[in-house]
Amino acid sequence: MSREDFISIRNASKHFGSVKAVDDITFDIGAGEFFSLLGASGCGKTTLLRMLAGFEQPTLGNIYIDGQPQAGVPPHQRPVNMVFQNYAIFPHLNVHKNIAYGMRKAGLSKADVDRKVDEMLELIKLPGYGLRGAHQLSGGQRQRVALARALIKQPKVLLLDEPLGALDKKLREQMQLELRALQRDVGITFVFVTHDQEEAMTMSDRIAVMSLGQVLQIDSPTRLYEVPQVKEVADFIGTINFFEGSIRGREGESTVVEAAGLGTVHSQVATGSTPATGQVTVAIRPEKISLSFAPPQAGPNVVEGRMQAAAYLGDRSHYYVRVEGCEFPIAVAAQNAERRLDTVDADRHERVWLSWAEDSALLLTA
Amino acid sequence: MTDAAASITARKAAADARGEETPQHIQSKHEGYHWTAEAPMFLYAVWYLAFLYIPVLFLPLFSFNDSIYVAFPLQGFTLDWYEDMASNPALLGALQNSLKVGFVVSLLATFLGLLAAKAMTRYRMPGKAPVTTFIMLPLVVPGIILGIALLTMTNRLGMELSLYTIGLAHMLICVPFAMLVLMSRLEGFDKNLEEASLDLGENALQTFLRVTLPLAWPGILASLLLTFTISFDEFLLAFFLAGNEVTLPVYIWSQLRFPNRLPMVLSLGACILVFSFFLVTFAEVVRRRGVGPQRGAAI
Repeated sequence: MSREDFISIRNASKHFGSVKAVDDITFDIGAGEFFSLLGASGCGKTTLLRMLAGFEQPTLGNIYIDGQPQAGVPPHQRPVNMVFQNYAIFPHLNVHKNIAYGMRKAGLSKADVDRKVDEMLELIKLPGYGLRGAHQLSGGQRQRVALARALIKQPKVLLLDEPLGALDKKLREQMQLELRALQRDVGITFVFVTHDQEEAMTMSDRIAVMSLGQVLQIDSPTRLYEVPQVKEVADFIGTINFFEGSIRGREGESTVVEAAGLGTVHSQVATGSTPATGQVTVAIRPEKISLSFAPPQAGPNVVEGRMQAAAYLGDRSHYYVRVEGCEFPIAVAAQNAERRLDTVDADRHERVWLSWAEDSALLLTA
Repeated sequence: MTDAAASITARKAAADARGEETPQHIQSKHEGYHWTAEAPMFLYAVWYLAFLYIPVLFLPLFSFNDSIYVAFPLQGFTLDWYEDMASNPALLGALQNSLKVGFVVSLLATFLGLLAAKAMTRYRMPGKAPVTTFIMLPLVVPGIILGIALLTMTNRLGMELSLYTIGLAHMLICVPFAMLVLMSRLEGFDKNLEEASLDLGENALQTFLRVTLPLAWPGILASLLLTFTISFDEFLLAFFLAGNEVTLPVYIWSQLRFPNRLPMVLSLGACILVFSFFLVTFAEVVRRRGVGPQRGAAI
């Protein structure tokens, strides 16, 4: 990570008619970073990627790659290469010719190109596949060939547009780890577009969460999950319980909030959007809540409720607890660390107690 | 020529009829056709084929008949009419004209159609829908109206009627066909393929040559064959716009006034029939071969 602003996006906007697909975005991507653009479909992540590739020109704003302004630079002259969502393997060419496609202008002899292609086939673990036809490849193999075809150009930036979306779950998880390892090997900056938060969390150094053409938050996977800055990010990444409340004041390190159903809540987490007074949303992750069938020892954050539903998932269980005054049942996730066969019978609606640490309750606005 | 195209449709219909019959046949465990509710459909297919083919088959039949009268009973086998045809300079001249116009028109129309199809399927541009409509319009304007309009216009402009005027008129009706065929071909493959080529460092022209052209090739060939056939077959516009030199359909029309020339025209018709049959079969084979590797790309 030699340079923090290897890719620099400055007030970039893309309008299609009256639709602002990308709306005034500014941020930097560091050299050698695995950076993900995460968001639901239509959030503008693919448009932003296509602007980096040069397929779309920004309506407003500028994009710099390695210090060079990219305005007006056509795709074939940019130091970036792309792996397309459906891989876009040329159906009329075999694997070798697909990978060698971009090497025509490299000024290399045929023998050198052949050697480089063989190296690439080695890298993507498909040695000896050069003469196969494009239609003879499986989904995973096509994905690797698309990767090799882009990497052989030794781009400064590799753009990936949901490249794992078409693969089945097992293969996808395997490819996630392989991609990450490959990126560390080649040291190229990766910009990865996905709508799958788990995928983004697994691979990325940093993630930009996007919504409606804007970036909500850019952070490491850990910080996005543990310290989301806005409600929408907290909601998009993982599961979370929200409670409406209003700030009562401060007690030492903690902010004290009066929340519907929970009573008085103490929070020690400082997020950028926490105001000093007024309305806030208290947010607590399900796995941060402990559930017990007897009243716990007195603590600042305890609430009593009744079991409403339970789901046994093997490695963990999900419980939904109805608490007086709360609009929705509270989700609780518990690891099944000990082997036990007596699963919770939710139909008895037993009395349970929920508690959480002071640094587990987040205070969010908006 | 259209007969030949129709014959393929007819053979498909016949094959369908047979296909439906087969499972019934297996279930019934009887030899021969099992009379069921499908019988009327089968009879319909037979009747349909007979209606379609019997008139056409009269062409080759009477072209070998040793009589200038097209009537039964047949008078014996002869190749005289074919000799007549081959030694008729006016006919050969008309054939040459038709081939010339057909070749040039098919090449130009396919070239223009390819550019138009590329623009229509790949670029965002204002007024795309009205432009498409205007290009397609000659397809629905009755030929006779088009003929009169073009004749009036060439007169006004003081253009001399020649093979060029026929060629221009044929362009008008061939470009939309070429465009339709090529648009469906270009829509059939992923535009990401062209973007991938741009992304890998090739400019627009090289991308067109290295990706678009090879992938559109079956469509281009189909367009060439189709537009050639349309031009070769076209009568109305050629009739209006022909000068001293006529095309084959116009020549044939002019010969129908002479009863003794009819058998020769029949032998000419038989030749055209066989030729178009091979042409259309070839086009179909190419089209199907083109579908093969494309299927892989769709995954």
